[in-house]
Amino acid sequence: MSNETHQDKKLVGVLGQFDSPDALLHACENARQSGIKKMDAYSPFPIHGIEKALGVPRTILPFFVLAVGLSACAAGLGLQWFTNATENWGPWSGYQFKISGKPYFSLPANIPVTFEIIVLSSAFAAFLGMLALNRLPTFANPLHRIARFKRATNDRFFLAIETSEGGLDATSARNKLMEYGATDVEEVWLDQTDHQLPAFLKTFLVLALVLLLLPPVMVFRGQGMTSRQTRLHLNPDMDFQHKFKPQSLGPVASDDPLGFFFEHKRSALAQIPGTVSRNQDDSDSTFLRGIKAGPDSHHTNIKIPVVLASNQEQEALTPAAAPVEPDWVTEFPEQFDVNQENMLLGQKKYDIYCSVCHGYSGEGDGLVNQRASALAINGGTTWTAAKSYHDPEVVKQPVGRIFDTITNGRATMGPYASRLSPADRWAIVLYIKAIQETRANVPPATDVPPEADKNAGAKAE
Amino acid sequence: MHHIRKAEITSPITTLASDTTTRLVPVAGIAGIGCIAGAFLLSPGGFAHFSHAYLVNFCFYATICIGALFFVLIQHLTRAGWSVTVRRIAEIMACCLLPLAVLFLPILIPVMLGSSELYTWNTSRDSLGWAVGDGDMYDLKTVFLSKNFFALRNIIYFAVWSLIAWSLYRWSVRQDETGEKSLTMRMQGFSAPMMLLFVGALVFGAFDWEMSLSPMWFSTMFPVYFFAGCVLSSLATITLVALVLQRSGRVTDEITVEHYHDLAKWTFAFIFFWGYVAFSQFMLIWYANFPEETFWFRFRSEGGWMTVSMILLFGHLFIPFLGMMARTVRRSKTFLLFSSIYLLIMHWVDHYWLIMPQLGASVHPGYNSPTPIPGPPIPELLCFLGIGFVLFASVCLIAGKRSLVARRDPRLHEALNYNNP
Repeated sequence: MSNETHQDKKLVGVLGQFDSPDALLHACENARQSGIKKMDAYSPFPIHGIEKALGVPRTILPFFVLAVGLSACAAGLGLQWFTNATENWGPWSGYQFKISGKPYFSLPANIPVTFEIIVLSSAFAAFLGMLALNRLPTFANPLHRIARFKRATNDRFFLAIETSEGGLDATSARNKLMEYGATDVEEVWLDQTDHQLPAFLKTFLVLALVLLLLPPVMVFRGQGMTSRQTRLHLNPDMDFQHKFKPQSLGPVASDDPLGFFFEHKRSALAQIPGTVSRNQDDSDSTFLRGIKAGPDSHHTNIKIPVVLASNQEQEALTPAAAPVEPDWVTEFPEQFDVNQENMLLGQKKYDIYCSVCHGYSGEGDGLVNQRASALAINGGTTWTAAKSYHDPEVVKQPVGRIFDTITNGRATMGPYASRLSPADRWAIVLYIKAIQETRANVPPATDVPPEADKNAGAKAE
Repeated sequence: MHHIRKAEITSPITTLASDTTTRLVPVAGIAGIGCIAGAFLLSPGGFAHFSHAYLVNFCFYATICIGALFFVLIQHLTRAGWSVTVRRIAEIMACCLLPLAVLFLPILIPVMLGSSELYTWNTSRDSLGWAVGDGDMYDLKTVFLSKNFFALRNIIYFAVWSLIAWSLYRWSVRQDETGEKSLTMRMQGFSAPMMLLFVGALVFGAFDWEMSLSPMWFSTMFPVYFFAGCVLSSLATITLVALVLQRSGRVTDEITVEHYHDLAKWTFAFIFFWGYVAFSQFMLIWYANFPEETFWFRFRSEGGWMTVSMILLFGHLFIPFLGMMARTVRRSKTFLLFSSIYLLIMHWVDHYWLIMPQLGASVHPGYNSPTPIPGPPIPELLCFLGIGFVLFASVCLIAGKRSLVARRDPRLHEALNYNNP
């Protein structure tokens, strides 16, 4: 071969061909014993003992996977602790959310998530670690330029020995391979141009990059814009679930010939007489219900959530079920401290739960209310507008009444008892009273009495 | 280094029988029965304590043998080559299910005589054994948990297991002499239907022996938990038996470190599988928080039982899981000797934890009575020794002068030349 053909090429090794796995194994063994380190064997199938024969050290991959697995364990637990068990931790704090009545940080409930994170991370670590340790992916291997090497996936066995300047030279490598019983020996030339990206790949990558930029650009463009198109449902089976909400109506009788549903076509059994559900604990009427404890207090205002088949039925029942106005609590209960901390808690919870309808300043101008009212005008829906807290009727309401509204809901407003603890609800009442105070009774800026908050509820009556 | 072994048995001794074992058989048999009788007479907690202690040890040994039967079946089902050298040990262990059928009589006979001290369901509806005997569930359960049906089912379990175990053992031993390849084909062919029957018996066996101790409690996960313990304990026992046999100069050449390595890998997997199933069972019940399910775990978390539960969590899961993770450890015979014994102790604690908290249930029925750990464990230890001795005598008789390796299995070559990658 002339020098000209090898202008861009470099001799990197010698490849020997063997006819049987045993011959290859022997050759590897001999090569290792004669001190050759840089070599690799190629075979159509795994050969037991080849790693030993080649002198391949045991991989460090298991330790890498173990380290990643243990870190994932810590990260998985930490993630759940941080997101669900911390609150008021500065700008990046988590958000305490009660799930199934379990503690915010509850090991048994956290283990499945932690376990999955460990499994996923370990699998990634094993796969990507394997690629990295094998220096993969590579664009080219000089062995693929050799025609006979294709048989390495079929019926021949190869041993490639690397040559280098100052190390093993090609002639002695060739001689050694022949000595070990190679049936054919060939030089391996590295074509320098092989390591350049092919032109079509460059075009493809640039195109892919441009296309990848499109979604973020579209998201950025869509921000702050209104659209008249219906929402895109990426997970329709999650957005429209085939299920019945608790205590709602089941399907009409013709849809349910087998009678799976409960009496009065309800989707669930009515509360069994004598049982107390989690949110109907009335051991402390003042704190838990906003109604003064008295001989009759536990009879009033116990809502048995029954949704009746039609509005007519509901209306027919309404007069009979019309409750006597209970004896509302007028002062904040003893367990609840009126202080700055609770005021901030109330503000926080108000902004999350209430402001969407009632607006940040309590005018009843929240976004949901605006949208729903607009739809109602067009005749699309029915909607009872969210109340303004500055409405004189509302200002007159005692704290217990507001507490009850949050707990059980009113008109279109749903109950929040399942989402807010009693203390959270009282904090919201406190904040609402403060909002009302900003309009009703603005004190001179100079002398705000220290107990202003404490008196807020009483004054507003 | 690269040396291919011929499919030949080269160990000087390949049988269990020796003068010592022949002399030991009657001694062990009598000692075993003596120990069981002693446990019955010396039980500090009366018959209830004895029968629970006996059940703990019966389940301990029975699960090992059931697991061994699973081991044999799965090797045939997957046409495994590596395991040929250790399969005979498992075959002999599985055959112990026949003597275990006889050893089940101390449980079955009192039930048939109407005793409700072990199985509290063996009473009328009005008595308190059922704790919450009420409604449709009760009506269905009384049909299932009645003494005659219980006896019938247990006869079926032992018939199924013994038949499978003996057939596979007999065919395999016959192959030692004739070398027929058709026997391997036959064992492989039968292994699939046998596996189905085996699993059916295992699932209901787990329900009957241990879950029905608390008749109104239910967990569909329970048989899986039981099964995980079976396989784990049988793998530990196979490893232990192989090590002991090799130390006594038997089958020294055939079982290599590669086979121990594979057994240990499987053991490692089942340590975690046991923990996975145990936790799944616990978490579903804990999360749903229904009193009719949670009381079973409450029994095991009060009155000192929490300590036992924690011993299981750490001793049966975390410690062996981390301990057996490293390859070097799994290839060390010294370590495997230790870990097999350790795992068997944990397996015993597991069954103690499943059965013993129910001891008080017959004395103080109802939800609100977790029972303390019973007094001195005399019947526990005596039953452990008793059943152990009887089974040792049985093993000597079953193995006799037969080979401890499948000498002419067509895959022996593969097993002898097996190398872990």
